[in-house]
Amino acid sequence: MRALALVTATAALVGCGKSDPPPFRLNMTNVVAKQIAPEHQQAIANILGAMFGTPDEPIALKETGLDQKKLDMAAGPVWSDKVGAKHGLYRRHCVHCHGISGDGRGPTAAVLNPYPRDYRMGVFKFKSTYTAAEPTNLDLTKTLHEGIPGTAMPSFALLPPDEVAALVEYVKYLSIRGQMERLLEDHASVELNAGDKFDPANDPAVQKLVMQDMLGPIMESWNGAKEQVINPEDASIPPDNRPAKELEASVKAGRELFYGTRANCVKCHGPTALGDGQQDDYDVWNKAINDFFKATDDKIGQIASLKTDLAKAQGDDATQIRQQIVDAQKEFNERHALLSSLLLPRNAIPRNLREGVFRGGRRPIDVFWRISSGIPGTPMPASGPAGEGAQGTLTQKEIWQIVDYVHSLPFEPASLPQKRPINASEVSTGE
Amino acid sequence: MEYRWRLTNKMKRLFGISGFLWMLAVSLSGLSGCSGRADMGPVADAANVKAIRDVLATSKGAGSEQAAAATGTGWATIKGQFVFDGDPPTMPPYNVTKEAEICTINGQAPPQEMLVVTPGSKAIKNVVVFLRDASRVNDSAKPKTDRVEFDQKHCLFLTHVVGLTVGQALDIKNSDNTGHNTNILGSGFNQLIPAGGAIPYKVQKDAQVPNKVTCSIHPWMTAYMLPRKDGYFAVSDADGKFEIANVPAGEPLEFQVWHESGAAPGNGLVGTTPDAPDVKWSNRGRVAVTLKPDDVKELKVVVPAKAFRL
Repeated sequence: MRALALVTATAALVGCGKSDPPPFRLNMTNVVAKQIAPEHQQAIANILGAMFGTPDEPIALKETGLDQKKLDMAAGPVWSDKVGAKHGLYRRHCVHCHGISGDGRGPTAAVLNPYPRDYRMGVFKFKSTYTAAEPTNLDLTKTLHEGIPGTAMPSFALLPPDEVAALVEYVKYLSIRGQMERLLEDHASVELNAGDKFDPANDPAVQKLVMQDMLGPIMESWNGAKEQVINPEDASIPPDNRPAKELEASVKAGRELFYGTRANCVKCHGPTALGDGQQDDYDVWNKAINDFFKATDDKIGQIASLKTDLAKAQGDDATQIRQQIVDAQKEFNERHALLSSLLLPRNAIPRNLREGVFRGGRRPIDVFWRISSGIPGTPMPASGPAGEGAQGTLTQKEIWQIVDYVHSLPFEPASLPQKRPINASEVSTGE
Repeated sequence: MEYRWRLTNKMKRLFGISGFLWMLAVSLSGLSGCSGRADMGPVADAANVKAIRDVLATSKGAGSEQAAAATGTGWATIKGQFVFDGDPPTMPPYNVTKEAEICTINGQAPPQEMLVVTPGSKAIKNVVVFLRDASRVNDSAKPKTDRVEFDQKHCLFLTHVVGLTVGQALDIKNSDNTGHNTNILGSGFNQLIPAGGAIPYKVQKDAQVPNKVTCSIHPWMTAYMLPRKDGYFAVSDADGKFEIANVPAGEPLEFQVWHESGAAPGNGLVGTTPDAPDVKWSNRGRVAVTLKPDDVKELKVVVPAKAFRL
């Protein structure tokens, strides 16, 4: 009896015998929402496996320009070699929040606010480039180095530079893999019918589609990020040591823009700048989940209305409606099975600007970039141009004025802790 | 105190060490998650992965240019009208939650545009029709260079569905006395449009399904934008009418019919064309047809209420 219990307990402690290396999984929310046929799900998993390998053995495909050595350092299980070099850096430092596939669904994700970033859209909030562009290596390195103040993302400034560089490379690898996955899923949902073959191994057209039409533009965007950096003109940049009067005038002009109908900051950040304006929108990550919940709810109504129709229908019509009910019920079941694994969507709450905590960095240039290109993936729009040579809504000078105003907000008397009334009991309660 | 001691003793006798370990084992096995979850999807298949990898390594992904083979000659025109079959549902007003003085008309929030049917004629507005893959493109359907105006007034996008070609310049205007921002989902464009101002924008990439356009400041605002590589697209007008001229004749064509409330996958709209038996509809709202050179094919598309998910 005791021996049996001991064996069971030991087995439980070890896990399920020898555990298999973790695989990459598909984005099932997207797969189910787009109703991708099982054979096409398998085909997509195979294509991604061929292009990117596994979490233990990642592949730096030549066309991606990724560095195999860096990926090897970041990927796989955690261990140190004889000379003490560390391996498995992603699983050592990142996976518990960002997940094996970079889906932002590690085990700690559920208790964090904001949720960890899902890299698979290739969208990053804090960067130096135009809205639609990818971040530069330097942008991602900065996020790792500084962390993201006000969130659970810590600073990794204590890691040696080669380890940070390996992690940056791996984050890019997971993003590119995720972007490829999305394009393959979009393609399967729009172009493929059940039973259609989708295998590059013996179809040159699929090879071209995958490598040129899909991977090509993704890599163009990543490789071109360096040319998309927003460099404000020297003449527009306020000097470091401005006379107080000049700074005051700039803050005043920034305040007018904040409340005016051109910059319109007030609409979301609120008349108090506490972030109490528009609060019921979503960022793209939460919106995808919210849409999934909504569409699942809608299925219930659809099935009910089909059943009402069925009661009135006869003959071929009835057969057709019966099939529609079966299909709708199947989709509902697939959706329902996923619900418990999803994190409840949260609204994108505009930043409280009075706290002095700036997630993307507090340097004037960081705040300038946030205002100029907006915050990709969130409701925060760009007020600078959409690209080189495009027309901005505000001039660079005006953006710097808003930077000055935003930097002054945490130090306004209204932002400081308020004194409690001298004798609270003396305050009239109006009775 | 004594009572608690007795209980602990009793527990020890009852379970013993083995019992305790047994409980530990059960609780740990729950934590370690041995049971597979059904909803995790497939994992790459090693044999096929190797086959694909070998091919990608040798062919370098160049592949052969596989444009749809042009088999026909000459050009034809397809046009027609979308008509609602039955009684169209009444649209509820937009949920105007702020700036009512600007975002309402005579104090009334305007009706939503999920389905716009002209009373009387029952013509359906804002149905999108586009040719999925053109084997050849007539000069008249080459990418357009004229500017498209995309205005907003009373917190409404005045063009609810806009089609355009990649590279065509769009003038995003704001005729309201309040700021808007125009967020074209899927494009990476999200910029402030100042009150009374305009911002030009060039669409960079084409799409198979129209992109939603919203305003974060007034979240009820909705429009759709379809950027295409060629000019073979149309959006039905208030009379439900559409026309696509000079499409390739003498070869099979496939058109996508799309409506924002279409019930088919990807919001495809499945209509019927009882007068044209040679026109075949798929359950995704795709229309297969072959046109003769210089033919002007006119379709009356009857759309049943069930084709919309409303």
